[in-house]
Amino acid sequence: MKNEEKKPIQTFRPYNIAHRGSNGEIPEETAAAYLRAIEEGADFIETDILASKDGALICFHDVTLDETTDVARHKEFANRRRTYEVEWFNVTGWFVVDFTLEELKTLKVKQRYSFRDQQYNGMFSIITFEEFISIALDADRTVGIYPEIKDPVFINKHVKWAGGKKFEDKFVDTLLKYGYKGQYLSENWLKQPLFIQSFAPTSIVHVSKLIDSPKVFLIDDITVRTQDTNQSYWEITSDDYLAYIGKYIVGLGPWKDTIIPAAGNYLMPPSDLVARAHAHNLQVHPYTYRNENQFLHFNFHQDPYAEYDFWMNTVGVDGLFTDFTGTLYRYQELTSPHRKDETANSLLLKISQMISAYEGL
Amino acid sequence: VVAAVLAAAVVASSGVAARPLVGGGGAWADRAPLQTSRPFNIAHRGSNGELPEETAAAYARAIDEGADFIEADIEATKDGHLVCFHDTTLDDVTDVADHPEFAGRRRTLEVQWANNVTGYFITDFTLAELKTLRAKQRWDFRDKSHDGISPIITFEEFIDIALNAKRVVGIYPEMKNPVFMNKHVQWADGKKYEDKFIATLKKYGYGGKYMSPAWRAKPVFIQSFAPASLVRAAGLTDSPLLFLIDDVTVRTEDTNQSYDEITSGEYLDYIKKYVVGIGPWKDTVVPPTKDNRLATPTDLVAMAHARGLQVHPYTYRNENKFLHFNFRQDPYAEYDYWINGVGVDGLFTDFPASLRRFQEWTAKKKD
Repeated sequence: MKNEEKKPIQTFRPYNIAHRGSNGEIPEETAAAYLRAIEEGADFIETDILASKDGALICFHDVTLDETTDVARHKEFANRRRTYEVEWFNVTGWFVVDFTLEELKTLKVKQRYSFRDQQYNGMFSIITFEEFISIALDADRTVGIYPEIKDPVFINKHVKWAGGKKFEDKFVDTLLKYGYKGQYLSENWLKQPLFIQSFAPTSIVHVSKLIDSPKVFLIDDITVRTQDTNQSYWEITSDDYLAYIGKYIVGLGPWKDTIIPAAGNYLMPPSDLVARAHAHNLQVHPYTYRNENQFLHFNFHQDPYAEYDFWMNTVGVDGLFTDFTGTLYRYQELTSPHRKDETANSLLLKISQMISAYEGL
Repeated sequence: VVAAVLAAAVVASSGVAARPLVGGGGAWADRAPLQTSRPFNIAHRGSNGELPEETAAAYARAIDEGADFIEADIEATKDGHLVCFHDTTLDDVTDVADHPEFAGRRRTLEVQWANNVTGYFITDFTLAELKTLRAKQRWDFRDKSHDGISPIITFEEFIDIALNAKRVVGIYPEMKNPVFMNKHVQWADGKKYEDKFIATLKKYGYGGKYMSPAWRAKPVFIQSFAPASLVRAAGLTDSPLLFLIDDVTVRTEDTNQSYDEITSGEYLDYIKKYVVGIGPWKDTVVPPTKDNRLATPTDLVAMAHARGLQVHPYTYRNENKFLHFNFRQDPYAEYDYWINGVGVDGLFTDFPASLRRFQEWTAKKKD
């Protein structure tokens, strides 16, 4: 189907970003999770891009395979367990960067959380960045992609590409290959919507020279320092820093509990991060919204819709990373539904009705 | 609001005239009526997802949140007062264990067919003694910041809360564990628990068939798991009654009948002479599989509706551990299924705010 015929992406209400696909229901970052998210009405499907030993770009969140695959049951890989430093900390497990793409494809993905539906465990494989892009482009409406340059310091340390290319270069090459380009809300962007996200500021600056698509700077918890520049939360959320990084990005992606911290599982007074971001003309796309009551602060009465209501209408964010695409879509459709198609005639009729109401006065 | 409710409670319990204290006359008559166009939002034990169950605070919150009915379990104290309390023992939802003066009262009794229960029994405490206790949130995954604040309230205080609301709010009291109550508590002149229960409702002017003008002014459903108590109540009042049905393994506490018996066509034909509806446990209407998905629904709702009986299942809760995977951890998906898919007539919910929100938003969408 030609792009021109597809239903366009909505831009009148905050973006519904399917965090790792519809991973509340189906194991994260699988084709099935992304297809479900598209079915449920996601505006964007989101993914974390890492690299395999032989340099293939894959959709996977953790640097280790332990939590979300059946790698532990593969005797042929038993001796590959090891310890590396990842983002200032030592981690032990089976590392993605020690497996070729072919080997990774023999693994099966499982649901990360024990309290979520386990019935799809062992059914799906890890997919590549290109497979992910195809899922978006093959959808019968315009679906945006939201890939992350994930753990770039770690990846560049362990994986080498020909011609001195870096992870960020290969990442952008893949996007350019599929025709992604264009500034936010440009004609090309509206046909193939894209946000590039990363926690690493130097990676964002690097790719800015290679592609003009919009970028989002992710911000972790207040105790975490950036993996490449070793900067603190306070530094990277200061006005000076926002003025600097604002030249390269269209928005921030903070962890929602740093925007509004909680105590005793109740919301405390909000920080001013959203206000300052908006003052710098930056969007705010917090992560991550989840339906399960253990993730909901008591102000919301265990009701995920109350949480969406608060963040969209009181805080006023511009996009939300959610594990439950369907719930967010349902909330948005109930409270700010898609406008019905209006023809020029029906608009003229409305205008004439408005005027005629005053005619007798 | 809390001060007014407490003041009303004090006056009511000292036996002064049983009518609402605020508003009165004209203002009261202008209150927004009970909605009857969509399934009833029944605040199960008040808004107990947020506040300790069956307290004045939980009921006031439920009314604020738009509940159509506030629901309570009525049990009896040692000295024959009727109070709002669910369990026969005080252990799980009060601070009784912190009261050394009651330490010697812990014991073991049979409750409902050879089911031995150990604890502090409500029927071993006078009303004055119960009033020294403080309620706490039953579940550890719910908000415990209101523990230790609210007392147990009486049936009359509960009724006052409903009648004092700024709009018409129905009450949904249960004749709870009547066999146990009648066994352990005796009233003067041979009166039974059911008689005292109905007398309290009549004192406050509750009466009238379902949807009659009198009923619309003071809506009420009387519920019970015990058919004999319902039959007895039917002889004393024309207010609508509802027959509660427990899990498939549980037998009725008074007539010792099985689930299959009391959900048969013959039995429904019989009981419908006395009740306007049934209140089944929702997992018997649509049973779950062992991987927490919905299996094929039974025909109970169809059988009830065919006989003109309403269906008010219990209990709807937001927490994901109570949601079957078909609903994708989304409580509104569950409401959608039961209201639009199954077609029930009322829902007992621990989260009246969520049900209200769901009903309001989906009503708008239809316009």
